[in-house]
Amino acid sequence: MLTGLKRAWESRAARKFRRNRMAVAALAVIALYLAVGLWVLSVDGLKALGDSTGWWNVRSAPLVDALSTEQAGAVVGPLEEPGFGIKPRPEERLTAVKARLDDLGKAFRLRARGGEDREARIRAALAEINYGAVRVADRPVEELRAQWEAVKRQYDTIAESPNLDRDPAALPALRDLEAATAALFTEPGGVRGFLQDFRLSLGTDRQGRSIMVKAVYSIKVAIQIGLVVAIVATLLGALLGAAGAFFGGWVDYFVVWLYSTLSSLPDLVLLGVLVFMFTGSVFDDVNRPYLSLVPLYVAMCLTFWIGPCRIIRGEVLKIKELEYVQAATAIGFSRLYVLIRHALPNTLHLMFINFSLLFIAAIKNEVVLSFLGLGVKSGTSWGLMIQESTQQVINGFYWQIGAATAFMFVLVLAFNILSDALQDAFDPKHVG
Amino acid sequence: MPAGEPVLSVRGLSACFRTDLGVVTAVDDVSFDLSAGETLAIVGESGCGKTVTSKSIMRLLPERNSFLSDQSRIIYHNRPRRRAAAKDRLPPGEIELAHADAPTMHHVRGARIAMIFQEPMTSLNPVFTIGWQLDEALKYHTDLSRRGRRRRAVEMLRLVEIANPEQRIHEYPHQLSGGMRQRVMIALALCCEPDVLIADEPTTALDVTIQAQILDLMAGLKARLGTAIMFITHNLGVVAQFADRVLVMYAGRVIESGPVRDIFHRPQHPYTRALLDSIPRAGNRHRGRPLATIEGIVPSLLNLPGGCKFADRCPRRRENCVEREPALEPGPDGRPVRCYYPHHEPRVAEPGGRT
Ligand SMILES: Nc1ncnc2c1ncn2[C@@H]1O[C@H](COP(=O)(O)OP(=O)(O)OP(=O)(O)O)[C@@H](O)[C@H]1O
Ligand code: SF4
Ligand SMILES: [Mg+2]
Repeated sequence: MLTGLKRAWESRAARKFRRNRMAVAALAVIALYLAVGLWVLSVDGLKALGDSTGWWNVRSAPLVDALSTEQAGAVVGPLEEPGFGIKPRPEERLTAVKARLDDLGKAFRLRARGGEDREARIRAALAEINYGAVRVADRPVEELRAQWEAVKRQYDTIAESPNLDRDPAALPALRDLEAATAALFTEPGGVRGFLQDFRLSLGTDRQGRSIMVKAVYSIKVAIQIGLVVAIVATLLGALLGAAGAFFGGWVDYFVVWLYSTLSSLPDLVLLGVLVFMFTGSVFDDVNRPYLSLVPLYVAMCLTFWIGPCRIIRGEVLKIKELEYVQAATAIGFSRLYVLIRHALPNTLHLMFINFSLLFIAAIKNEVVLSFLGLGVKSGTSWGLMIQESTQQVINGFYWQIGAATAFMFVLVLAFNILSDALQDAFDPKHVG
Repeated sequence: MPAGEPVLSVRGLSACFRTDLGVVTAVDDVSFDLSAGETLAIVGESGCGKTVTSKSIMRLLPERNSFLSDQSRIIYHNRPRRRAAAKDRLPPGEIELAHADAPTMHHVRGARIAMIFQEPMTSLNPVFTIGWQLDEALKYHTDLSRRGRRRRAVEMLRLVEIANPEQRIHEYPHQLSGGMRQRVMIALALCCEPDVLIADEPTTALDVTIQAQILDLMAGLKARLGTAIMFITHNLGVVAQFADRVLVMYAGRVIESGPVRDIFHRPQHPYTRALLDSIPRAGNRHRGRPLATIEGIVPSLLNLPGGCKFADRCPRRRENCVEREPALEPGPDGRPVRCYYPHHEPRVAEPGGRT
């Protein structure tokens, strides 16, 4: 095993691959994505285990908890805030202030309805205001309310100003207002503060959820779909193609008929129909979020095996005429054994390349299907993010679509570079 | 096993292919015996059915478009014999292979009748080490332990004269030269101690010096292991030096057979004689004269002539030759020959060879 690994590392293909800087960088990027995906997956697992057994509470370790399904759905700030702390136009800065003041106002208005424990109710409502780690300052309600009213008056005067852009006095006033608003809250420090900055770094969506957390969390979804679909579809295609080529006769007729028929339908239509078949079944149940990806897996696996099947069938047709296959038969092995143990391993390089192509295809198709409302149903994904951002784009808010696209672009690009490099490295016709 | 007793008896073997132009009979009514420890050479022009004969015995012809006639009998004589931990799953006695079922063939192939191919470059699987490939065959046919199999693999490589077998065992086929790969193929074929080794032009793809080494190796192994060898070749020089008996084939038929000395000294069939005359030789007999060749080409299997298949090219042809095909009958010196007018006189020349 170890000598095998050493041999692989020293092989011509591996040396050629390592000399390709882009390919190594792409591999590093993919490794990073994989690590993040694995991280999210294990945090979710730990959390579920902790919740059911009571052995630990992941939520008390903010760094560990930063990326999880729960966090991807958590409200961390006002709605549709831009990222990088940029508030380019004064109007938008004013809107952000107003959003925070309104949230407080809703809580204070509870008082108007009167009743015994109104103080307590207001307290509870204030405590619920939660922008990630930012909480309402811990002060007596009355004091806070007075302060709030002062800030609100300050806001009103600025809001009345007809043109914020041109008034030279407006900008300092706006800065004062922002400082005064911030004083109503306690900014977290240390790890929590850092996490809050991280969450707001790419802004928030229409429900005030962190775009950054959503985009990073979606890595897990993408890799899950990519891996499952690429592995299953490649193996399925390889087995069918190899069996058809090796056994010939009606097996081959059937395989060729099956993939010709399926490939005469446009991929997307086929995918849509297959996914649609699952609507209303157990896999469509909000109470079983862990099953929600199964329709996607099934549809893509049933669609994507065609590519590898074609290629591997062609290769096995060639290999089975080679003498080592005959020689293996002459040793006495059965045909099935010769196929699996001698012919298939010689198509491994093709399987690798097909795997990486399908991985990308699966991720891209997840986005398309989610955009059409047929894809990911629970949690989030790049496709869902892009779908959500359609209305935002009309309003000129590009953070969500930008983040989802950029994260996906990097992964797809890295995989393209990698599969190119793999093809080069394994192709015996390329010398060097 | 005592020498002289047959290990393999082929009777009336006919192999047919279904082609788009109809059924062709590539091998027609071939019969011969192969005795323990004997080397039988099969010679003949390209396309005369040598490979089809050997593949029929191994039952390696494509099942889809080929079949053996119902009269065909390929009898393997399974005699009790001490083997190194072989899984003996075949009943003793005569085993008919021409129509045997798949499990029987799995036990016969490799373990009792082994085969090496012409092209050493592609006869080994490129993705596995040679040790792995030897081990795989031993695992399938013997009860040896892991360690025992390894010892045997090393021993086999040493037997075929590969230097440093302990290291070579970890190497991949592409790290070996053509000659070494053919040695490994021989080791692979012999590792389960088969009774019969079929070698289909095992040296044709190698250069001349390596050819000689491989042939010497096979001759040595034959003497040591007592394996019967069925040797297919174009090279009559090799036949003279290496074979005990010769089977001459033409257009899918046996036309003459006999001990190697008789074939070379007193060939009876005009084709055999023409074949021997076309061997280039050292010495001055041919200086200044063109090498003798056989005029014409082998008839197509799709429309074979009715009478003697060699009639078109035969210098001794007479009227009746084309009417009915001659049978394989004892000729002037008692050996079977398929000709109405066989040669009686011995051939003047010395047997050809690598001189
Ligand atoms: N798969 C096949 N389908 C149809 N005909 C075949 C097939 N294989 C062999 N034949 C026919 O059988 C005949 C004998 O072929 P074979 O390979 O046995 O010749 P050979 O004596 O081994 O020749 P060579 O010396 O070139 O190897 C050929 O003329 C060929 O037409
Ligand atoms: S039978 Fe006639 S044609 Fe045929 S080989 Fe003999 S002499 Fe020649
Ligand atoms: Mg041949």
